[in-house]
Amino acid sequence: MARRERVAVLAAGVTTPIGQDLDAFWSSLLTGASGISLIERFPVADLRVGRGGEIKKLTRLKRWDRVPDCRATRLLVSAADELIAHAPVRPPVVAPTRLAVVVGTALGGVEEGERALAGAAPRRLRGALYDAPGDNLARWLGARGPVLTVSTACASGATALGIGADLLRQDQADLVVAGGYDILCRFVMRGFDALRSLTRDEVRPFDRRRSGLLLGEAAALVLLSREADAGRAPLGFIRGHASTGDGSHISAPDPEGRGLERAARLALAEAGAGPEDVDFVSAHGTATVLNDRIETGVLKRLFGARAHAVPVNSIKPTMGHTMGAAATLEAIMCLLAGRHGQIPPTRHLEVPDPECDLDYVPGAARAFRPRLSLSTSLGFGGCNGALVLEST
Amino acid sequence: MPAEIIAAPRVRALGLVTGWGRGAAALPTDARAAAAGRSVVGLGRPALSGDRFRRATRECLWALAAVESMLEDGQTDRAEIAGEGTALLFVTAAVYGASNRAFIEGTGGSTHFAYTAPAVIPAEAAIEFGLRGSSVLFVGGAPATLRAIWYGATLLAQAACERALVLAVETFEECADLYARARRRTAPPLVEAAACLWLEPGVGRLELRSTRARRAEAGARARRMGEMLACGPLAELASRRALAAAEPLELSGVWRGEAADLIITKGGG
Repeated sequence: MARRERVAVLAAGVTTPIGQDLDAFWSSLLTGASGISLIERFPVADLRVGRGGEIKKLTRLKRWDRVPDCRATRLLVSAADELIAHAPVRPPVVAPTRLAVVVGTALGGVEEGERALAGAAPRRLRGALYDAPGDNLARWLGARGPVLTVSTACASGATALGIGADLLRQDQADLVVAGGYDILCRFVMRGFDALRSLTRDEVRPFDRRRSGLLLGEAAALVLLSREADAGRAPLGFIRGHASTGDGSHISAPDPEGRGLERAARLALAEAGAGPEDVDFVSAHGTATVLNDRIETGVLKRLFGARAHAVPVNSIKPTMGHTMGAAATLEAIMCLLAGRHGQIPPTRHLEVPDPECDLDYVPGAARAFRPRLSLSTSLGFGGCNGALVLEST
Repeated sequence: MPAEIIAAPRVRALGLVTGWGRGAAALPTDARAAAAGRSVVGLGRPALSGDRFRRATRECLWALAAVESMLEDGQTDRAEIAGEGTALLFVTAAVYGASNRAFIEGTGGSTHFAYTAPAVIPAEAAIEFGLRGSSVLFVGGAPATLRAIWYGATLLAQAACERALVLAVETFEECADLYARARRRTAPPLVEAAACLWLEPGVGRLELRSTRARRAEAGARARRMGEMLACGPLAELASRRALAAAEPLELSGVWRGEAADLIITKGGG
């Protein structure tokens, strides 16, 4: 497999429970601020766990009259507004037909379906389709190029960045807004509650006492261009991507993580890099017993004797598992780590698990400047995603 | 960066099952007349034996049936597609509607919730046929299917896989009342369908164009064979193959006001 051209990340925009701009997001990751709270937007009293990373109020935009009354869309638009504010190249400088949008999601507009079935207007039904929020974002941006929605479950935010890079490499667009989103709603809270995946404790990735995850809501977007069009100071580069399927179970990951390992090796091959070149890993790190053990095993096989020397973190304890947004947020975190020379810690990791014995950056942020980062993701349906990111 | 050149893939096989019957021969030329007043032309539930399929949704079972149909068309067996060399690209606009509705309106158990994830449909196919290569799920109507073919060609061109399967499934019966609320009475009938396209490396040229213009011919395919959303381009391709249509092969699709054209020239199958 041949090495492919790297694609520039010009800017990023986020809407998260720990900050609705990039600076707030980054400082919260470093200081350990928590975005976890009791969910207030819909009833949770009947659920085992009613906490999550809920965004209490969208503060970035003052007027929403141009945006459909759809929470998923509004999270995306909020992130896009910040993205445009930081972008060195504004989307309007390219022809609208050359601006593409690629978003990843696990849930799409499912809450609109809940509202329609509860008796709301029939037009809500169109919003219930999983590609509706992405289409709404494209309209808000004025993008008239390719508009894609991908749904590799909780790896969607990685897949979207990879497909966005491919659109540029093949001259399907000149600028791509790519990323992921998902919201907290009754539908997903009921589902994970039924699965008994949610913890009543803190989210403790790689800790011996870990007992599950908490969900969160977020949107995260990046602006991508070809390297030649990127100017002097892009945030970083996408070097490689792969999304693979386990083909082993509909909801549980492959017990050996073979699909995730394939994704990591394919992404590295696309980057023209080897495991020896990786400085840092952003793990999926959900704090479920199975996930963390599997990911640790994959990283040990991938890095061999170097495994204990490569720092690995999980940022999910700070805001919950944001599903379709998670991998994009983690990719942005990797690039910010390289830019600022700091790696955010894995919060609430206090009692090491003998089966999870890598360097997970416990306690406090660490001064370290990764150049090449690997970000790994897993999801329902045996979905796996891997991104190789280069910091500038 | 010069644009990467993507060779057109070769079509090795194509399986199609629709509410009209199996294969291209069952497709009508006037969907409304053939539907005889039905707003949804359904597939029912396929008869698959085995405990593993006891709890699987019918959309999952139709995904398996489409792959089986493709293997029959290719006159081969499942051993040839098993393994890490096969990429699976799944496309749908609305197939998850049935499971989502059942979960929203029902009591909602853990198994049921798992089936609300669209990714579970290709996962069932991957488990059944041992597909363990690259995997992406595109959500949308006909343009999403064309992009899945494009992405399959990209993976083949990069030698990231040896073959790419583009699998599409659309079911409507469980939400027929909701579609009736949202659609115009004069719209062509919704036709349930499942299709799987087997792509291999080819030597032709593949071009994907995208615009935001509505075209006059946008509804022609739907008027002919019914609205199959993401399955539409694959039904069209099956129809063209049955007629041994000459190159270049052009497939088009419109969804949410976005039009896409996929053009395959010389040796692309």
